[in-house]
Amino acid sequence: MSPMMTIAKREFRSYFDSPVAYVVICLSFLGLGLMFFQFDGGFWEEDRASMVNLFKYIPPGLAMLVVPVVTMGLIAEEKRSGTLEMLITLPVKDSDVMLGKYFGALGLVLVLLLSTLIYPIAMFWKPWMLGSLDWGPVQSAYLGLILFSAAAVSIGLLVSSLTDSQAVSFFVTFFILLLAWYIGRSADWMGGTLGEVLRYISFETRMSGFMRGLVDTRDIVYFLSIAVVCLTFAFRKLESRKWA
Amino acid sequence: MSDVMIQADSLSKEFGQVRALDKINFEVRKGEVVGFLGPNGAGKSTTMRILTCFISPTGGRAKVHGFDVFDEPLEVRKRLGYLPQRAPLYQDMGVWEYLEFAAQIRGIDASAFRTRLKKVVEVCGLAQVLGKPIGELSHGYRQRVGLGQALIHDPPILILDEPTADLDPNEKAELLRYIKEIGKDRTILLSTHNLNEVEEACARAIIVSKGRVVADGNLDVIRSRGGSLRYTVAIDEVSAAPGKTPPRADEVQAALQGLPGAQRVAEKPSDETVHRFELVSAQDDDLRATVFRLAVDKGWTLLELQRDAQSLDSVFRDLTRGDEKLDRGASWKESNVDDSGAKSEAREEAN
Repeated sequence: MSPMMTIAKREFRSYFDSPVAYVVICLSFLGLGLMFFQFDGGFWEEDRASMVNLFKYIPPGLAMLVVPVVTMGLIAEEKRSGTLEMLITLPVKDSDVMLGKYFGALGLVLVLLLSTLIYPIAMFWKPWMLGSLDWGPVQSAYLGLILFSAAAVSIGLLVSSLTDSQAVSFFVTFFILLLAWYIGRSADWMGGTLGEVLRYISFETRMSGFMRGLVDTRDIVYFLSIAVVCLTFAFRKLESRKWA
Repeated sequence: MSDVMIQADSLSKEFGQVRALDKINFEVRKGEVVGFLGPNGAGKSTTMRILTCFISPTGGRAKVHGFDVFDEPLEVRKRLGYLPQRAPLYQDMGVWEYLEFAAQIRGIDASAFRTRLKKVVEVCGLAQVLGKPIGELSHGYRQRVGLGQALIHDPPILILDEPTADLDPNEKAELLRYIKEIGKDRTILLSTHNLNEVEEACARAIIVSKGRVVADGNLDVIRSRGGSLRYTVAIDEVSAAPGKTPPRADEVQAALQGLPGAQRVAEKPSDETVHRFELVSAQDDDLRATVFRLAVDKGWTLLELQRDAQSLDSVFRDLTRGDEKLDRGASWKESNVDDSGAKSEAREEAN
């Protein structure tokens, strides 16, 4: 196993060694269930074979709770406790450390995300068959959510590498992701070119295609570039310790 | 390849305006166990972090096992076992798990790991805690796990940053025993500010102060470099020879100061019954006889006369004197810096 995979595996497992993974998974499911079935009339009232409501709640939930919690400790805690020095002085490249941490955290987010597949499967396939679901948008929505998670986790990782306080990391990540999600709505009252730009770059807009079953290369590239840019900066930040 | 395992060649490191290392030069050869000594803030950890490629030097070069720390960090790290200060380990992992993690990163396969683990558990005394989470271990055991981690790949070179700090005397003695055992067939660079440990485990010491090497050589050579000897003199405050009165403290101090060869006299804390002084003379003077005769002449009762057995300690203090002016807070410095007697006293107590 490569050093990167070893680090990723350790990171992933460490969520399960502490209560983090269990708390995040349980509460997320509870929250998602409540939102999906009860909030605002919920699924039953809508009376349609559609998963749109599910996808309406997953991304903000991921962005504002799950990703900040999962990524806050990635580098910040290692810096605070000094374990980063131990890790980096093992024969690993700085890029292995960053990518390992990234994939470890992304792994947990994806486990959580993919386990929400239980909703469409249980409701529209087995054991219940509540109606005939159009699976196309479901597939594209999950593709979108995976890309969205990849970008969000990279933002969290970058923020975590800039501080050594988990609390600061949590709130900054939370705020950035909140802003990135809702900023497009400001276009309504802002208008003009700036409004258009904000609408264009908002995560909500970029996700809306995936939700409707529309896979646009521009959206894919958008999320992937965010991930690449954030990972690069995080890597540079880690390297900069050498010259501090 | 030559047998130089660690080579620092005018290494410098600046943190902003602060010069932490100022052209440090030294070599460590194969099989040596070297004590890297200095007060806090002298540059010990900085040097070690450069050698382990955690940070880069601002100037100069360093080679470990023939590999440049800047150009080939991975090759260097493969050949090193490193224990950073305070052994920072993942608290939520078990001991076994952690050692396995270190081994996997180093590319040791499962069967080789088992063999190595057996050896490491034996050498570091980890058998009882192998299944426990690291967070539940005492500091001494954590330090041992850290040492185990540094040994898991059987490295030719070990760098240990203050491995005995914060340990109780028993744990310290035990850890030093492990280090001696390990040092039989390895090169070890070991930093500390405790001189007894160096005497215990190392044959050679490098003393750094304010980012420079101020002494480098085997312990006897360094000891002889000290240039001064210390004596403890205690005079009875209550009784004296028949017909004589017991002296006051200032009388004793003046008399000792007046002895030929006495360089410095400082009062040490004592109870109501004795005056205790520390007397410093040049290396080649022996003042014991003179002190004895002084007491006889004056009719004082000499209760204690001892030449400092830990002369390495005093060498260290002489060589690194003034360092504290640099490190400690300014207000503190103003009020205490002249009071060197009391301060060295305090440090002696700490040791």
